[in-house]
Amino acid sequence: MKRAFLVGLAVVLVALALYPMQATGYGVRTMLQLFMWVALAQSWNLISGLTGYVSFGHVAFFGMGAYTAGILIGKLGWAWPAACLAGGVMAMVLAIVIGWPCLRLKGPYFAIAMLGLNEVLRVIVSYYEGLTGGGNGLSLPTLHASVPIYYAMGLVALAVTALAYLIITSRFGLRLMTIREDEVAAEAMGIDTFRHKLYAFLLSAVGPGIVGGLAARDQGYIEPLSVFPLITTITMIVMALFGGKGTIWGPVLGAVVLFAFQELVWARFIYLHQLFFGGIIVAVVLMMPRGILGVLQQKYNLPRTI
Amino acid sequence: MVGQVVISGLLAGSLYAMVALGLGLIFGVMRVLNVAHGPMLMLGAYTTFWLFHWLGLSPYLSLLVSMPALFVVGVVLQRLLVRRVVDAPELSSLLLTFGVSIALVNLTQLAFTSDLRSVEYLTGAFILGPFAFSKSRVIACAFAILITAGAFWFLQKTRLGKAIRAVSQSREVAQVCGIDVQRIHMLAFGVASALAAAGGSLVAVMVAIQPEMGQMYTFKSFLVIVLGGAGNYPGALLGGLLLGLVEQLSSLFLTTQVNEAVAYILLVLVLLVRPTGLLKGRSS
Repeated sequence: MKRAFLVGLAVVLVALALYPMQATGYGVRTMLQLFMWVALAQSWNLISGLTGYVSFGHVAFFGMGAYTAGILIGKLGWAWPAACLAGGVMAMVLAIVIGWPCLRLKGPYFAIAMLGLNEVLRVIVSYYEGLTGGGNGLSLPTLHASVPIYYAMGLVALAVTALAYLIITSRFGLRLMTIREDEVAAEAMGIDTFRHKLYAFLLSAVGPGIVGGLAARDQGYIEPLSVFPLITTITMIVMALFGGKGTIWGPVLGAVVLFAFQELVWARFIYLHQLFFGGIIVAVVLMMPRGILGVLQQKYNLPRTI
Repeated sequence: MVGQVVISGLLAGSLYAMVALGLGLIFGVMRVLNVAHGPMLMLGAYTTFWLFHWLGLSPYLSLLVSMPALFVVGVVLQRLLVRRVVDAPELSSLLLTFGVSIALVNLTQLAFTSDLRSVEYLTGAFILGPFAFSKSRVIACAFAILITAGAFWFLQKTRLGKAIRAVSQSREVAQVCGIDVQRIHMLAFGVASALAAAGGSLVAVMVAIQPEMGQMYTFKSFLVIVLGGAGNYPGALLGGLLLGLVEQLSSLFLTTQVNEAVAYILLVLVLLVRPTGLLKGRSS
C-alpha cells in the first residue's frame, strides 16, 4: 500500500515536471494557479488545521509577499526569484509582528483580529502611494517567464506539503494537535503553547509570502484590492476543509478537486459564481466538516498521518 | 467644530449601536459570529428602496415592512442552516454565514443589478445655532434610539426577552428551567435580523444602495461588540456610540482613506489591550 502510494506520487511528480514541454501557455498558467492554491491551503492547514486557531486573514501574508516582491522587482530591479524569497521572509516578519500579540487571543477573537489586521494592511498599502502605487496599483516590467514560475510555484507547493508531512509526523505536530484538542490540558502537560503556536504561525506564513510574490510576477500587476481579498482566505480555508484539515494530503486533495471544479464548471456561469461558491461552502460545512480524508479516516480506520 | 463633530458622531453611533445589538444578540445567545448580518441590512435597505420606488411609501413607514420581513428571513435562516453549527467550533459558523452572505449578495445582484440606487427623501438640514445637521440623520438617529429602546424593553421586561437573556447566560440552566432553547435561538436570530433591517431602512435615505453595501456594517458591528464586550448587551450601545465618535473625530485629522482603517485599528487595539471589552463581556 505504502509502496504503491510512493510510486504513484513519483509518477505524478514526474508527469508534472514534464508537463510544460507538452502544454500550451494556457495550460501552464492554469496548473501554476493550482500549485498556488495547494500551497495556500496547505499553509493555512499548518496553523489552523493543526492548532485550531482560525486564521481568518491569512491572505495578508500573500499580499505582503506580493507587495514585497513587486516593490523589489519594480523599483529596485531585483531578479524575481530573489524578490519572491524576500516576500517569504517579509511574510514571516509580519507573522511575528501579528502573532506575538494576537496568538494570545482565544477562539473567535483571534479570527476577528486576523480579519481586522488584513484590512489594516490593505489600507496601509493603499496609503503609501510613493512606495506601493496606492490604489492605482503597481505594474511590473514585462517578462515572459510562465514556465520558470510554473516550476517555482510547484516547488513551493511541494515544499509546503513536505513541511506538513514533517510537522504532522513529528512530536512538534503532536503538541500542536494537543493544543487544538485542549489548550489548558496541553499547558498542564508542560507544552509552551504560545511558543508552539507562534512557530506554527511563522511556518504557515512563509508559503503564502513566496507564492504571493510569484503570483505578482506572473500577473505583472498588483493592487490592494486584488491581493488582500477576504475571498482568497475563504477559498484556501474551504479547500483545506473540503479535503480534510489537520491531515497531510487533505488540503492538496481539496485544492485539486475544488480548483478543477472551478475551472470546468463555474467558469461557465460567471454571474452565478458567488452563489455556487456560497452553496459549496454551506454544503461542506454542514455535510462534511471533517473533509474527505476525515471521513475516510473514520470509516476505514486509516492512520492519523495521511 | 468639535461640537458639530461630536453630535455627528453620536448620530452615526446610534445607528451602529442598533445594528450591532443584533449581532451581539446572536453571538450572546448562540456563540455564532454572523458574517451575514451586513447583507441582512442590505436587504432591509432594498426593501425600503423598492417600496419607495413603486408605492412612494415613506422610508420610515417602510420600517413596518422591512423589520417583520427580515425577521422571517432570519428565523428561516436559523432554522434551516445556522441551527446546525451552533455547537460547532467557530470555524464552521464563520464559514457557513460567509457562504450565506456571498450567496445573498449574488442573488441581490442577479435580481436588482449592481446599479447604485438612492432614495430621494427628506433632504436638507436642521440649523440649530452654530450647528447644522442633515434631517435624514437626525430622524434616523431618533428612530434608532426608539427601536433600540424597544429592543431593550423587550429584553428586560417581557418573558421572551428574559428567556433570551437566560439562554445567553447559560443554555443548560435555561433548558432545565423549561425554556425551549431552539425556539429562543430562532427568535433571537429573527430579532437580530430585524434590527439589521431597521438599520438598512434608515441608512437607505443617506447612502447609495448596492448589493455589497452590507459588508462594511458586518465589520463595524464586529468591532462594536468587541468594544462593548461580546455578549454584553448594554456594552453594544456604548461601543456603537464610541465607534461613531471616534470615526467622526478622526476624520478631522486624517484623510478619508486612512479613516477607513481607524475602525480596524481600534478593533485590533481593543482586542489586544482588553479582549473582554470595555464593559466586561465573556471571554471564550
